[in-house]
Amino acid sequence: MSKSDNTAKKTGKSFLSMFKRLFVRDKVITNRLDEEAIRTPMKVIFLKLVRNKMAIIGFSLFMVNLLFAFIGSLIFPLNEVYIEITNRNLPPSRNFLNYPSELNDMNIVKIASGVSFSIALTDDGNLHVWGTESSVRLEGETSMIFDIPEEVQDAHIVDVVVGMRFVIVLDDEGNFYGWGEAAHNQTEIPSDIRRLMAVNRTTEIVKISAGAMWSSVLGNNGYLYLWGSFQAQNNYIVPYEAQGRIVDIASGENNMILLLDDGTVMPMGVRGTEFFENVPEELMDGSVNVVELVATNRNVIARDEQGNLYIWGSRIDGLHRFPEGFVPDKIIDIAAGLRNFIIVKENGEIIVWGAEELRQLNLPRGIEDSGVVRVFADMFQFYAVDEESNIVGAWGNRGYIFGSDENGRDIFTRLIHGGRVSLTVGVIAVVIATFIAVIIGLISGYFGGWIDHTLMRIADIFDALPFLPLVITLSFIIGDRLDQTQRLYFIMILLGVLSWTPLARLIRAQLLLEREKDFVLAAKALGIKQGGIMFKHILPNVFNFVIVSVTLSYASFILMESALSFLGFGIREPTPSWGNMLTSAQETMVIRHFWWRWIIPAIFLVAAALSINMVGDALREAMDPKSEER
Amino acid sequence: MLIKYVIKRIIILIPVLFGISIVLFTITKIMPGDQVRSMLPTNIRPEVYDQMYEAMFRRLGLDRPIYIQYFSWLYNFLFLGDFGYSSVFNRPVVDVISEPLKNTIILNLSVNFVYLLVALPVGIKMAVKRGSLFDNSWQVFSLAAFSIPSFFLALSLIFIFSVTLGWLPISGMPNTLFLEGWDLFVGWIRHLTLPVTTLVIISLAGAIRYIRNAMIDALSQDYIRTARSKGLSEKVVIYSHAFRNALIPISTIIVGVVFTLFAGAAITETVFAYNGIGRLLVQAVVARDRMLIISMNMLFAFVNVTAILAADIVYGLIDPRIKLK
Repeated sequence: MSKSDNTAKKTGKSFLSMFKRLFVRDKVITNRLDEEAIRTPMKVIFLKLVRNKMAIIGFSLFMVNLLFAFIGSLIFPLNEVYIEITNRNLPPSRNFLNYPSELNDMNIVKIASGVSFSIALTDDGNLHVWGTESSVRLEGETSMIFDIPEEVQDAHIVDVVVGMRFVIVLDDEGNFYGWGEAAHNQTEIPSDIRRLMAVNRTTEIVKISAGAMWSSVLGNNGYLYLWGSFQAQNNYIVPYEAQGRIVDIASGENNMILLLDDGTVMPMGVRGTEFFENVPEELMDGSVNVVELVATNRNVIARDEQGNLYIWGSRIDGLHRFPEGFVPDKIIDIAAGLRNFIIVKENGEIIVWGAEELRQLNLPRGIEDSGVVRVFADMFQFYAVDEESNIVGAWGNRGYIFGSDENGRDIFTRLIHGGRVSLTVGVIAVVIATFIAVIIGLISGYFGGWIDHTLMRIADIFDALPFLPLVITLSFIIGDRLDQTQRLYFIMILLGVLSWTPLARLIRAQLLLEREKDFVLAAKALGIKQGGIMFKHILPNVFNFVIVSVTLSYASFILMESALSFLGFGIREPTPSWGNMLTSAQETMVIRHFWWRWIIPAIFLVAAALSINMVGDALREAMDPKSEER
Repeated sequence: MLIKYVIKRIIILIPVLFGISIVLFTITKIMPGDQVRSMLPTNIRPEVYDQMYEAMFRRLGLDRPIYIQYFSWLYNFLFLGDFGYSSVFNRPVVDVISEPLKNTIILNLSVNFVYLLVALPVGIKMAVKRGSLFDNSWQVFSLAAFSIPSFFLALSLIFIFSVTLGWLPISGMPNTLFLEGWDLFVGWIRHLTLPVTTLVIISLAGAIRYIRNAMIDALSQDYIRTARSKGLSEKVVIYSHAFRNALIPISTIIVGVVFTLFAGAAITETVFAYNGIGRLLVQAVVARDRMLIISMNMLFAFVNVTAILAADIVYGLIDPRIKLK
């Protein structure tokens, strides 16, 4: 070591001691007795641990993990079977509702929302986008939502509609544009549709609409044109008797309903669904005159000339009827998200019902008094606008702090609950393994003779069992007959029962040493029973080994569980565990583009194992009398 | 003396193998699904199917009492080398296993070569320079490698070297049909690099600590002090006196790693789609291929038992002080 190094260290030390003397009262040793006071082994170990930085860091990190998993799971409940496939693979962000402040100086004509972004049209014909990019940039030609095409920026836009991950717009000259993730070419009118439009003498587009993966244009002569994909549902064929009479269309992701020129409605979509079959008779037979249609994905609200409301559709989310106590009068606006209806009344009251998983029902505070006249709702993002067309409140899906997975589930919540599962499985497995190891180790080491011999042969069998192959085989073959909870216990027991041998051997070896010592002889001479000698006198002496082994194997059990779950032999979906959250990372697409789906769970997993190993290492050092030499 | 000892150990291990074989046989018996049905074609007339079912049932010996089934299976397995017939691959189990087994041995040897090349010098240097920056950084490495699940390490390596940098193939095996000579060798190297790196890092975690501690123990012995006081050079003291004595504990873990990698590489092989024996087991279990599962588990058990035996023998060979009791 160089001289300058030395001086630097010295100054550092003196600074530190000065600081200590100034701010922290050092314990002053008053006499020799204190200085040479006998410390119990436990106290020595504890002091060594507290002074070890690794131990403190590891312990804190572990506590953070523990709190995250156990307290977090109380705060953020998990609905295991909930999925929202629409919102799959969204990157981490919380800015879905953060609209730009300059919008308040402009007149908003319309706000449309996609899965993770919203787009506002102002009366000067310009578009404003905010939120998070919903598509990943693949090689080459991917069109991103935030890259609004040049010609759209130059045009004077009069209407904008958002599908799940794409945008279509109409300008004041009747030109159609589109961009975004469009695997089925929803963003441009195909040539055959153009030809059809010419045949039908449609000269002008009056309305555009879009769903999950399709777009449609409504012509000025009442003809509707649809293209894109309907996911094996054949509703791209517009009923012949409706063509030429269509005045309006309301749509969800895959279903749609047409308003005809005689005031009747006609549903399109999957036959047999409540959306299709439960249309009130009077709306079809022409006895009432419908003027407005609003549709979620599976439900419709229709309004007739007299202001009567009709509602029907799927019972999922309770959207087939109005909320209890609802009085259908003084309504000024009806809007529909993907799984919610929103009604605005004259007095500014906002009524929203339907799904609630993405905070759709949590209205912003004070919004009832801010004079809301209109709500723009599309997917899961809702914006309330007052008479000056300022946004006075936004609610719904803010985004996912750790992103969403392939089923549109919040990774953050699943991480919390997965942590609870992973940490618990590890603890129980370690308790089982340690229990068996201590019992067998003690018996074997204390009694010796043929008992020892037999037990050690049993240990030999367990050692010779191929661990990973056997766990894989057993968990798949027996675990298949169990339900989720039983499976969880089965994995714990399996891991525990198959891995007690090293600790048992260690305890036995230690016991063979201890048993010859004088204090055992003394205890025997005093007439203490064998059990008493074993548990009261000998066990405390091998306790150190047990503690260290428990800590270190806890970490390895967590890793083992995660590896099993990763391969699909451990905890299975939909119950989350840190291991099975990483399963999908075997797909190149996920590794390449959806980094948040595998790096984030892995960080938590590694942090948990690392923190436990740090504590275990520190414990081993503290308990090893020879550690000073090492 | 040694031979007697070895024979004694083998005699002890025979009941162990028997125990395992009974466990495995039971597993295949309680496995859900119909063993006969999985081996018959489905597109035939019911009467013919019934006849074929009956014939197959007899041929597999399922009409005999269960203990006879067990013994006949064991007899075939041990003395005829007949491992049965894989229902999924439609080939004898021996043929199914041979290619992956070869690949796993290749992987295994490469890992051991690299890992010994790193672990021994590093472990020794850590012990000699204990407390130094070198020692501490390898300690940290060991702690980290202990805490990283192998599949995450594998995925990260794929992400860095295959996806981002594009230097190495993401997964799979070299094309043995079209490549030959030097190209085939390069293909092997390219496909082996990432799996070997993963396994080496995972195995190093424990090994360097073990070697370090063994070396420290050896270095603190009296004969080292004697050697030093005789004025021997530090090199001679470390490599000739200390390392030779440290070799006794080290040898056991070296033997251990050689064998544990057989089954232990299942996860790594699966992630890298490396056609090895571990991955084959995962496939066999998912497809419920009884004979393949039981044969492979037996094989792994054999390997494990051999490993235990080998460790004992090596121990006895290296250390003349060990009493062969």
